[in-house]
Amino acid sequence: MSRVFITGMGIISAVGVSLAENRSALRAGKCGVILSARLPTRYAGILPFGEIGTGTDELTEKFKITDPGITRTTLLALHAFDDALSDARLTAAELSDPGTALIGATTVGGMCLTDELYRDSVIPCEGSAFLSSYDCASVHLYLQGRYNMQGFTTTINTACSSSANAIQYGARLIKNGLAGRAIVGGTDSLAKFTINGFNALQILSSGICRPFDRDRAGLNLGEGAAYLVLEGEEALAGAGVTVGESVATGAGGSAGKKIYAELTGYCNTNDAFHPSALSLAGDGPYLAMTGALQSARLNAADIDFINTHGTATENNDEAESRAMVRLFGEPPVFVSTKSYTGHTLGASGAIEAVYSILSLAHQELYASLNFDQPIPGIGLRPLQAYKNYTLRHVMSNSFGFGGNCTSLIFSKVS
Amino acid sequence: MFYIHHISCISPQGSGAVGADLSVGPVGAGGLVGPVGNLLRAIEPKYEGVPGNVLRRMSKSVRMGVGASLPLLKQSPDGILIGTGYGGMEDSVKFLKQVIDYQEGVLAPGPFVQSTANAIASQIGLFNQNKGYNTTYVHRGFAFESALIDAGMLVREQPGSSWLVGGVDEISGHNYRFEYAEGWYKKEDFSGRDLYTADSPGSIAGEGAALFLVNDARAGALAQVKGIATLRGEDENDVRTAMALFLGRQLPDGKKPDLLISGENGDNRALKWYQLCEAVLGQDVAVTRFKHLCGEYPTASAYALWLACTLPGKGSSPQTILIYNNYKFSQHSLILIERFL
Amino acid sequence: METIELKQQLKRQIIEFLNLTDTVPEDIRDDKPLFGDEGLGLDSIDSLELIVLLNREYGIVIKDLKEGRKVLVDIDTMVEYIKKNRTK
Repeated sequence: MSRVFITGMGIISAVGVSLAENRSALRAGKCGVILSARLPTRYAGILPFGEIGTGTDELTEKFKITDPGITRTTLLALHAFDDALSDARLTAAELSDPGTALIGATTVGGMCLTDELYRDSVIPCEGSAFLSSYDCASVHLYLQGRYNMQGFTTTINTACSSSANAIQYGARLIKNGLAGRAIVGGTDSLAKFTINGFNALQILSSGICRPFDRDRAGLNLGEGAAYLVLEGEEALAGAGVTVGESVATGAGGSAGKKIYAELTGYCNTNDAFHPSALSLAGDGPYLAMTGALQSARLNAADIDFINTHGTATENNDEAESRAMVRLFGEPPVFVSTKSYTGHTLGASGAIEAVYSILSLAHQELYASLNFDQPIPGIGLRPLQAYKNYTLRHVMSNSFGFGGNCTSLIFSKVS
Repeated sequence: MFYIHHISCISPQGSGAVGADLSVGPVGAGGLVGPVGNLLRAIEPKYEGVPGNVLRRMSKSVRMGVGASLPLLKQSPDGILIGTGYGGMEDSVKFLKQVIDYQEGVLAPGPFVQSTANAIASQIGLFNQNKGYNTTYVHRGFAFESALIDAGMLVREQPGSSWLVGGVDEISGHNYRFEYAEGWYKKEDFSGRDLYTADSPGSIAGEGAALFLVNDARAGALAQVKGIATLRGEDENDVRTAMALFLGRQLPDGKKPDLLISGENGDNRALKWYQLCEAVLGQDVAVTRFKHLCGEYPTASAYALWLACTLPGKGSSPQTILIYNNYKFSQHSLILIERFL
Repeated sequence: METIELKQQLKRQIIEFLNLTDTVPEDIRDDKPLFGDEGLGLDSIDSLELIVLLNREYGIVIKDLKEGRKVLVDIDTMVEYIKKNRTK
């Protein structure tokens, strides 16, 4: 089966509207979670959010969108997607090739249009611009159409592990010879729907989130989008690139292509404990990480770093910690980058994959913010300061509602 | 690609086999259930073995998904793959109404948790304590096909494994209202009328759950899924070419399928696509339709696959069956199966 | 309202709010634990929903689940708490 390489990335989050900006913020330990007054919710100015400063109107104008049914969720996707394509230097022909798949993820979709949805659900107006925008499929159907993509396209929604699952599905299409290349990722925007849903579950923190800390009090919701371009060996050969020739920081191969990393392992499992909480022993996370190692043919000791799911809820961080201890004994250095961006739900798997790959590409690790005391009885401490670090294999974990657990492993290409 | 060994379905026609004669006549003929107004609602069985405590929170789509999975879970699948177009829209709007009615105050979280599209797959997994692969596709008319393609990859990646794959959707009042306003359903009352001769725009709304237990073992299989193609677009030449290419790859030497199961849905604007498919196949191929049985919904092709597996085989050789479905004009899917005796 | 009446009312409200379709008020003993296998078999989402019920029907504010756990033990403890704290 073909090896799968990451040749381009695009991202927008609370800490930056570009790959470079995101990396700068991570290096500087700059938290993007703020008390915003912009969001049209009762909780604006009360609860902190990982909000992106770019307004919806600004994005609409940037991309010259005239269709009013294009939601913020789609606009964020468009921004990150466009960047990923440029970063991978994909040509229009490569994009339209039937062998180029688009595997997207979102949990919010058009539900960010809370008031319009409510209005339409009571008396749908025949002329309402939004009727076909509310569902999750609308986002990637739009991207597919806008970029004239002819290959297989689908949308995954497995809650917070959605875009991690999009990454492994795209990779497997390539490995199974069903695609030569796959653009994979996800998006979610802040919405009254999710803000109130998580608030009703009493898992939102009134302060900035504190992943893995003894006094953590819940998560901060965030928004964002990230896409990765995955290419198989054949697609790269077709672009004149020999693997091993080009690396990370931008010194391209013969076609000017970067090869950031290789996706070497992945696994999805089900915790099967409760609809909205993980088993305290962390069965699902443990099985997902174990499975990812098996698929990568690696041992636990080979993992140099973990980008955890680390939402800062009591339940997740305890379960995830126990699973890491169970598997690794003494876990490798780990962080939660949700302390920068908030929990971006359907986009989190892809955003954190991008961050993991940035670490790998630049051989550096970013601090986990707002940590002070470890969880009693477990005692794990995330990394608390930026440092350069030798990384060969990094793991990125995403766990969602319904017990959906996905673990990805990215490896340095030598 | 893979073999289907067990099937299960909850539909407007109930959960049992419809029988060989898929009456196309006036709906309601031959013991078939017809739409009320223009809605074909699934008949739910008594969910034996599912405690009331578990059922109480579930939306209809989750109940149907879990209910239809019960006979298949006995086969201990390695994982669960579900396609759903509407997901949990009903519960989403239920929660949303609370958000508006109580001005984002103290809200009950139940509908929010149940509204996630992956509630179906995860509840099946939870019920069965299945810790394997668990995924949900929501790409409208390709949601079920995405799950099938994934199952095909899994069977290849893990020889000897078996997987529960299905398509589930419920008529959510909200989706119905949105789609009605967009013109996807008949404006006139369609009770007792023939779906395929009405010559008017729109179809009838349907719902159901069709699930399959699949693996790589030929022995004992009901059918083999040999190929799946999805195509997006509304250029007739492109669609015609893609169909011909698919058939050429799957059935070399100009061979044709024995039967076309057509997703014709009574919408006169979509008719050209079904006619295009029939033209590509040629006159010798028998055609049968199914949407008068299940109605129109994003994962209706799952019902078609279930039907294909229940049709009796002809003569002494397997039957080659092509399913062609068109969803909202621009999503075309082809599933080619070999039906064994 | 008499305690007995309040208990009956609360049982009916719980059944309706949590959609306990298989249960009638007579099935719920006053001192039977609401949570856990021995009781009605309610879970953590139900406890959040019961907090909402107390708020909507009786105007009671329970800050969080920790506080809620002390109150949501059985019908007897809930009714005692309602009598002391109701604002509706």
